[in-house]
Amino acid sequence: MKVVTGVVGNDIHVVANRLIDISLEERGFEVFNLGVNTYLEEFMDAVIETDADVLLISSLNGEAEGWCRDLKILKSQYDFRDVVFMIGGNLGVGEMDPELIVPKFRNYGFDLVFHQVDLNEGLDRLEATLEARK
Amino acid sequence: MNSKLMIDIGSTYFKVAREGEIEQYFRDFNRNIFDDLSGKCADLLKACRPEDIHICSSANGGLSTLIIGLTNSFSLKYAINIAFNSGINIIDTVLYPKIEQEPVPTEMIDVVIVVGGIDSVENVFDEKLPAYLEKVNYQNIVYVGTKKSVPFLQEHIENLVVLENVISDKLKIREEALKTYLTDLYQADIMGKEDIKQLYGITVNQIFSTPYIVNRSLSRISEHMDVADPFIVVDIGGATTDIHYSRDLVNDNILTDSGYDRLVFKKLGVFKSRESLVHTAKNNEFVFELLEHLNVTENILEEYSEKATRTLMQLAIFLVLYKVSKHHASYIELNLEILNSIVLTGGITKVLTQEEVDDIVLFFYRKILHFHHAPKILLDHNYEIWTYGIKE
Repeated sequence: MKVVTGVVGNDIHVVANRLIDISLEERGFEVFNLGVNTYLEEFMDAVIETDADVLLISSLNGEAEGWCRDLKILKSQYDFRDVVFMIGGNLGVGEMDPELIVPKFRNYGFDLVFHQVDLNEGLDRLEATLEARK
Repeated sequence: MNSKLMIDIGSTYFKVAREGEIEQYFRDFNRNIFDDLSGKCADLLKACRPEDIHICSSANGGLSTLIIGLTNSFSLKYAINIAFNSGINIIDTVLYPKIEQEPVPTEMIDVVIVVGGIDSVENVFDEKLPAYLEKVNYQNIVYVGTKKSVPFLQEHIENLVVLENVISDKLKIREEALKTYLTDLYQADIMGKEDIKQLYGITVNQIFSTPYIVNRSLSRISEHMDVADPFIVVDIGGATTDIHYSRDLVNDNILTDSGYDRLVFKKLGVFKSRESLVHTAKNNEFVFELLEHLNVTENILEEYSEKATRTLMQLAIFLVLYKVSKHHASYIELNLEILNSIVLTGGITKVLTQEEVDDIVLFFYRKILHFHHAPKILLDHNYEIWTYGIKE
């Protein structure tokens, strides 16, 4: 299965990005890593060019909230078949209520949202979701 | 005499370089290029063997290109990058998913480039592509996308040339095959133009496009000039303006072999495209402040005098920097804040003084970027940068 991944917005957390890349490869995914500082449109275009099954966006500095707001609009402009949209990392900034974060990102158009959740736990859930879709 | 003779045929001048000496000749437009060159440089041409004569040219206008790509961030971006670096000036694009709404170009296209998908992706192109192409008037068509679409496209598109995918399996750019194809096509284009093909009577070497040669010279500039990376080379000509830039100035997903890319503004020349330069200037919100800074009024833009030409050239420098800055959304945005050197070449170096150029660049950096200093500016007075690229 193909996964496009990278860090969204003006975020240069490259170590986390590499860890995600390595973890995905170890689980047998074909990974297309766009690296840090990636715009939402680039993620979408990469999914189209590779015909990926999963888009896994990470965000460590909390900028995802601003950068991913337009996901629904962008999704409507593309022909995505059964792509799983997933986001994880540190998704909120400041005093934000963690209880509100997951529904907010789901509302943005993500199927799987992981705020401050262990990477392996998130990837287990991804695999379970893909399995259930078969 | 066996040393190399290098010739650059421009739209206004031709330049001849030999043993470090460069001569420029204003073109006589009443004669064809070959006769003009033969008349002015008869002794030199006689003294050199055809294998020692190397020619580049921007005088035949270059190839017009239509690129049809699957996405903006990869297919189109990669193909545009390769086309510019191959010396192509005129590029139109079509985003394939919207091809049914895209207008059809009315003029003849020299080459259509179709691109999309890594090699493992299926069903990228369908009947919409041949249906669109049927309405386009083109001479050549090349496919550089996913392998899986080749059988379908070969069945539906006549004379399709298939090359290696420009998008690698890791989603990175792969430029060599398309670049070679486009530079060879440029040569074929020259062969088809009566005015220039006679030049093959004096050389056995391939005639390249001048922008391609200038781009090839960039990695060698520091051997000849006191430039520091990252730098840009701005070539303001009569018809177009080229910028060649270090890739360190761009935050994007392209990593090319040379480390230097090219961008063209086809309507920012000071002679042939003067009208569109003036039009662009009048529509720029900062230009009137700039004219005031230069102690001239707007009326200068309508004049035909030496002073007006100097002003237009200064405006061209400002507009080019503005168009690649973060204040102007376009194909590429350069991080001018980290720029160390600007090299100016082309006819502009014969007209403007170092002080005039320094002044305009400093105005840009103060006004637009809010800096108190500007990068180091070097003028290629002899217009010799192209000679570094032609020496292989």
